[in-house]
Amino acid sequence: MASKLLASNLRRTLAKATASAPALRGFSTSAAATASATATEPYEDPTGEIRMKGVKISARPLYLDMQATSPVDPRVLDAMLPYYIGRYGNPHSRTHVYGWESEQAVETARSQVAELIGASPKEIIFTSGATESNNISVKGVMKFYKEKKRHVITTQTEHKCVLDSCRHLQQEGFDITYLPVGADGLVDLEKLRAAIRPDTGLVSVMAVNNEIGVIQPMEEIGQICKEFKIPFHTDAAQALGKIPVNVDKWNVSLMSLSGHKIYGPKGIGALYMRRRPRIRVEPQMNGGGQERGIRSGTVPTPLVVGMGAACELAAKEMEYDDKRISGLQERLLKGMRSKLDGIVVNGSEERRYAGNVNISFAYVEGESLLMGLKEVAVSSGSACTSASLEPSYVLRALGVDEDMAHTSIRFGIGRFTTEEEIDKAVELTVEQVEKLREMSPLYEMVKEGIDIKSIQWAQH
Amino acid sequence: MASTSVSKGQILSLYRSLLRTARQFSDYNIREYTKRRTVDGFRQNRGLTEPSLISAAFSEGKSQLQVAERQAVVYSLYAPDIRSVMETNLKGKR
Repeated sequence: MASKLLASNLRRTLAKATASAPALRGFSTSAAATASATATEPYEDPTGEIRMKGVKISARPLYLDMQATSPVDPRVLDAMLPYYIGRYGNPHSRTHVYGWESEQAVETARSQVAELIGASPKEIIFTSGATESNNISVKGVMKFYKEKKRHVITTQTEHKCVLDSCRHLQQEGFDITYLPVGADGLVDLEKLRAAIRPDTGLVSVMAVNNEIGVIQPMEEIGQICKEFKIPFHTDAAQALGKIPVNVDKWNVSLMSLSGHKIYGPKGIGALYMRRRPRIRVEPQMNGGGQERGIRSGTVPTPLVVGMGAACELAAKEMEYDDKRISGLQERLLKGMRSKLDGIVVNGSEERRYAGNVNISFAYVEGESLLMGLKEVAVSSGSACTSASLEPSYVLRALGVDEDMAHTSIRFGIGRFTTEEEIDKAVELTVEQVEKLREMSPLYEMVKEGIDIKSIQWAQH
Repeated sequence: MASTSVSKGQILSLYRSLLRTARQFSDYNIREYTKRRTVDGFRQNRGLTEPSLISAAFSEGKSQLQVAERQAVVYSLYAPDIRSVMETNLKGKR
């Protein structure tokens, strides 16, 4: 990794060096030294251009990828900064004021998080993020109750970290049921009911899907779990602060939360663990016994304070943000639909979070479209899988055709998105899609009235 | 809660200060948001008549102004050399 970085820096220095001949002399020694010295050289060169990954852009793209991560709210940063400067105490230090003030800040943040989800502060465990919370929930619960419970129910459209935790359990001999979802992305409650077995130890269903934004029927699932007395875990990373979340209404035993999806810092998350009736887990991280032994390791005060501030802000701003984001979503969809045909919104249109608009553009190649949209920061699905060219497993689970799954783009709208940005994104996307369709023989055939699906492609 | 009532002049002055500070943000999105949130917040509270509610809203606004003033400085310290595509395009059109 480090050598790769060095090599790429070296290459850049070399390119620069050829421009100015004298610098070329003695390259092998001095340039290598400069290469390591300039390892942190900013990628923005003085001419006012960004060069990265072979792409040259003269302005920062407008950001519409809020599901990947959100910018830190200045009010959150304002709350965090004191804990990066003077108040650096370890919240577990019991012998001096540095520790006491940090502990107090952590406890305030714990109540702020609890308040937003209708829980008690004692039920909140700080972790490094929703991925860790999901791991503790899925693996921790099953390993704790492994004598009697050998079965987990989850869905095919869960986040990678839940699915991978389930895979891990499967290797250890547990049974997993991956529930299919309908074309609208929602779980069939009857199928869930039918999948329950006497040894089912956990049901894990995410609240808001990260790729398509559909909202699962949480209350109904919670009711079924209550009926069969099965712990219910939900990954609410994409739901927190965006839709009303209440642990009692949903009847969840465990809930995973994340800081950086709600305009807080990265590297912090929380796990809600119900106390009555009590749910127990086997810790996945052992050590100093912090966070009641569930998650050992020094609690990062500045990040926790940031997450707390972000939660408090979310509670205050949810109504305002939601109204605005819904308006922007409408603007985006109206703009696209008025200028383009053959676009499909993936997932249920009624039961979805407005800030997540996942659209497939027919007769367009997805990667070409993303490459063409240099001035708009969007992705084809989740950030975790954006490196692969495979179509998203979530869209495949919905039964979206291969060709449509390949052309999906997720537009993520957030608190700081402006109307002008939406208009610009529509304008650029429409322009790009039209350009690509013009080149596409498929689109030409469709326009002539040929049904593409009826074509017999020559076999080789 | 402070029993002294807040004058119209004080409120207008706070409004103007918030908008002035909003304009100082180097980041396009934060700048636009701060302006928009200020205008919407004051519009939302326009109908308040209860003096205690007015003074609560006023002191909330005051503390928000302090946050904005601090953060406008922090943002300016780390402002990227390259601006948002939204700003460069506006310049190009004119």
